[in-house]
Amino acid sequence: MEKKTHPRLKEFKYTLYRIFRNPSAIIGFTLLIFFTGVAVFAPYIAPPKYAHDPYIMPHKGFSPTPKPPTKEHIFGTTSGQYDIFYGAVWGTRTAFKIGIFVVFFATVIGVSVGVISGYVGGIVDEIIMRIVDIIFAIPTVVLAMAIVVAFGRGLDKVMIALSLVLWRNYVRVMRSGILTLREMDYVQAARVMGVSNIKIMIKHIIPNAIYPVMVMAFMDIGSMVIVAAFMAFLGLGAPRGYADWGQMISLARNYIVGPAEDPLRYWYTIIIPGGCIVLFVLAWNLIGDALRDAFDPKIRRK
Amino acid sequence: MLAFITRRFLFMFVVVFGVSVLIFSILMTFSPERRAAVYVRSPQQAQNLPQLVESLGLNDPFYIQYFRWVKELTHFNLGYSVVAARPVWDAFKSFLPVTLELNLYSVPIMIIVGIWLGTISGIYHDTYIDHITRIFAIIFWSLPTFLFALILLMIFYGYFEVFSPGIISDAYSVYIHDNPDKYTQYTHLLTIDGILNGRFDIAWDAAKHLFLPVVTQVMVIIALLLRVMRSSMIEETSKDYIMTARAKGADKKTINFKHARKNALIPVVTVAGWLAAFSMSGSIEVEVIFTRQGLGWWLANAAIQLDIPVIMAMCMFMGIIIVTANLAVDILYAYIDPRIRLS
Amino acid sequence: MPKLIQAEDVVTNFYTYEGVVKALNKVGLVVDHGATFGLVGESGCGKSVMVRSMMRIVQEPGQIEGGKVVLFFNGDQQQEAVDLLQQSEAYMEDLRGNHISMIFQEPNAALNPIMSIGDQISESFLFHRKKEMSKKILEDLSADDCRVFLPLKKLQQTLYTIAADNPKSFILIICSKIPILSLWQRRLKREALQRSIDIIRKLSISNPSETVHRYPHNLSGGMKQRIVIAIALACHPMLLIADEATSNLDVTIQAQILELLKDLKKTEIASILLITHDLGIVAETCDRVGVMYAGNLCEVADVEKLFQNPQHPYTKALLESVPKFSQEGRLRSIDGAVPNLVSPPSGCRFHPRCSHAMEICKQTFPEEIEIEENHMVACHLYVK
Repeated sequence: MEKKTHPRLKEFKYTLYRIFRNPSAIIGFTLLIFFTGVAVFAPYIAPPKYAHDPYIMPHKGFSPTPKPPTKEHIFGTTSGQYDIFYGAVWGTRTAFKIGIFVVFFATVIGVSVGVISGYVGGIVDEIIMRIVDIIFAIPTVVLAMAIVVAFGRGLDKVMIALSLVLWRNYVRVMRSGILTLREMDYVQAARVMGVSNIKIMIKHIIPNAIYPVMVMAFMDIGSMVIVAAFMAFLGLGAPRGYADWGQMISLARNYIVGPAEDPLRYWYTIIIPGGCIVLFVLAWNLIGDALRDAFDPKIRRK
Repeated sequence: MLAFITRRFLFMFVVVFGVSVLIFSILMTFSPERRAAVYVRSPQQAQNLPQLVESLGLNDPFYIQYFRWVKELTHFNLGYSVVAARPVWDAFKSFLPVTLELNLYSVPIMIIVGIWLGTISGIYHDTYIDHITRIFAIIFWSLPTFLFALILLMIFYGYFEVFSPGIISDAYSVYIHDNPDKYTQYTHLLTIDGILNGRFDIAWDAAKHLFLPVVTQVMVIIALLLRVMRSSMIEETSKDYIMTARAKGADKKTINFKHARKNALIPVVTVAGWLAAFSMSGSIEVEVIFTRQGLGWWLANAAIQLDIPVIMAMCMFMGIIIVTANLAVDILYAYIDPRIRLS
Repeated sequence: MPKLIQAEDVVTNFYTYEGVVKALNKVGLVVDHGATFGLVGESGCGKSVMVRSMMRIVQEPGQIEGGKVVLFFNGDQQQEAVDLLQQSEAYMEDLRGNHISMIFQEPNAALNPIMSIGDQISESFLFHRKKEMSKKILEDLSADDCRVFLPLKKLQQTLYTIAADNPKSFILIICSKIPILSLWQRRLKREALQRSIDIIRKLSISNPSETVHRYPHNLSGGMKQRIVIAIALACHPMLLIADEATSNLDVTIQAQILELLKDLKKTEIASILLITHDLGIVAETCDRVGVMYAGNLCEVADVEKLFQNPQHPYTKALLESVPKFSQEGRLRSIDGAVPNLVSPPSGCRFHPRCSHAMEICKQTFPEEIEIEENHMVACHLYVK
């Protein structure tokens, strides 16, 4: 006789199997582990020069022309002589900060509002959903820009602004999940058996409605890093010299075209911080993609 | 059906109103002095800022200021743009064609290519074609638009020297400006005006300037459409009516393109609202990098220079565009799906 | 009676994460010309997979891995016999809906929600009756009372002559792609729609000429099932496979549909292969019955013989689990459940639930034996 396993555990094992059967998840997790390592060991990989604020990139001189890689600056220096290697390493921490902070707060707000909307229903639901509709009518970047303009510039303001925009996505997903699940037979059965509404909500509905939110949150970490990078690029984010990939691209912006005899001379000033953004975002997206495939019941059994 | 559209239409006004209240309240967090600074044109004025605040009524309660703003709005008086050094409405009219021209080419291309690739990927899911398109999609999805634009510029402008940033070459720009009698600006869209005036060289030059921006925008947004279309297609092909069609003797092509794709398009239509939002924000990044002086470029610079009336106006404009897109989606939805049309 | 279709040793496996689901383990059955064959068994025993394998429409990740499905076009003379599993996909496309068609369990899902009823039925004609319809249109065109602008008439006549000759002609495919020229198909479509109206009129649907313009969501379940039947019947197939066609309908509508099938069998189609888990339906409609269990066919017999004299322990158990008016006390049921087909029991697949299980049942798979005329059983009990 085969050993009986708990169905939830079996499902969980199957989900894990599905995730790790997917090569994209393996690449994603590898990249993520790499970036986590860099972020955690940043003080050892690139010892900070200014102990009070390690996020400020050290720079030697103020010359606007980037310098190619040397032994001392292995990735070279960008405009303003900021060390690219240092920026890339500490920028990882910035990226983690942005992604996780923004998505965490947005999910907390979004899920709670969604639960309230789906659970209470009626006029409250109507008002909440109309407000969400209104916020949806403005693109993320634009609304975040407006908020940053109002609150003032800075990395923290950008993060707050993005969380204040992003929560709307989760409200809709959470609410529709709750509404569908509420009509499910097993929930009706629980209701007939006299289980209290709150208990049904906590035990049966929220745990099942949260999966799509989780998948979305993973994907959003990547896109929020992209939006934040663009805002940093515009100069709405961190102050000059802060280790932030978006800002490093902005510093190099005038050097995309080198001198006539060697037009691609300063490629490293764009490609290194740009590559960091792409790989970082890719890591989250690959994981999010694998998670979605793994959780999606429609394509799950194929 | 008509009632449905009317209801959606009325709802559109509610949303636009909501957007204006929202943006207005965000901008109200500025101190009255800072908002007054927008109106300052000379040092003398700067000295009597308190009087200016008083005369503009910036200390008034929220709703009075809001209604004053709405009243001005009805006269197309949206304030003065520092970035454009012109009233907002005038500047808007001159920036709009540039953005319009970009989206006129990029949106149809991305819809057609995105849906086509998504269909193929869905039909042949878990094969090489599918893996390649998925890898393509996820890489472009992870690539910030502005970075992709910069890299394209680096390669094609810097290295190959074929496409340059901007809207049109300076010589043509001067020509258009100096010869209003010989060159009529029918639509203000350079490629179309060029052809209408018989100046194919101008149209060609404008098209060359458009190429990289269009490519950038298309590539990044296709990724979204492709994913939605793919999963929708996979879902539809496993439904029962596909079995009926097979049992009827339908060939693969009829099943995939006539039965499955039409059904699969229904959920895809719903993302058109996002598509509008994405191409809006995509236009900002593209225009900033390629220094195309359109609405996106204007908005980005307004954000940098705290040009508040522009931010207000642009948020309203985006709201209108996105809500209109959603309305169009609803109508299209009803057109495709008889279950909605006939109920 | 001559044979119509004969399946032999069909093996179909599904490749899933849990392992290979051995859905069909060498199943064979014969449907005679003019007979109604009933296939019964519990859910999940492979009835649907069997008929889908016969039509070669098994869904991913299923694969037909062996056996023969021979279709006899004209009695059972050998030269007219075709092994369907060896044919090309194009041949099968031509055959499905034309010679063999199928109706499905769930009428709500079996119709394309965004195509009108008329279009869905017309498709059958457009797939299989292009030649015939083109000839008819040609006749109409050459009739005196047909008033069409002359060059247009010439063009149409040319195109329809090509269509009557070879409907898959390259020229026609090109013409259908060119915007205005593609209008040539209009007459064809109109003709197909007319035929659709005729066919649903036969199925006693009220107001057929209006119904064809409606969409599935406007119709009731019974109506939808009639439309599904209409699609299947459109080209007068030799064999109609009804896969649990009445299971999801109300009892009254169920009766109507069964009555309809019976009538149709007299007039329109040669044979019916009826899949069901309702033994009452079998008793009422079928001539011959096959009992399936866990991917095997355990007993085949004429309907009276099977009900009066069941031989296989599973058939006996199945018959005993049918509620009877005269019976008192608890209803008998079969202990245990249908085995997981990823790792089916060794030997006879029924042995864990069988009250007569012997040592040999655990080891070897029982061969099918004929215990009396036209009565086959696959059970070790009857091996001499």
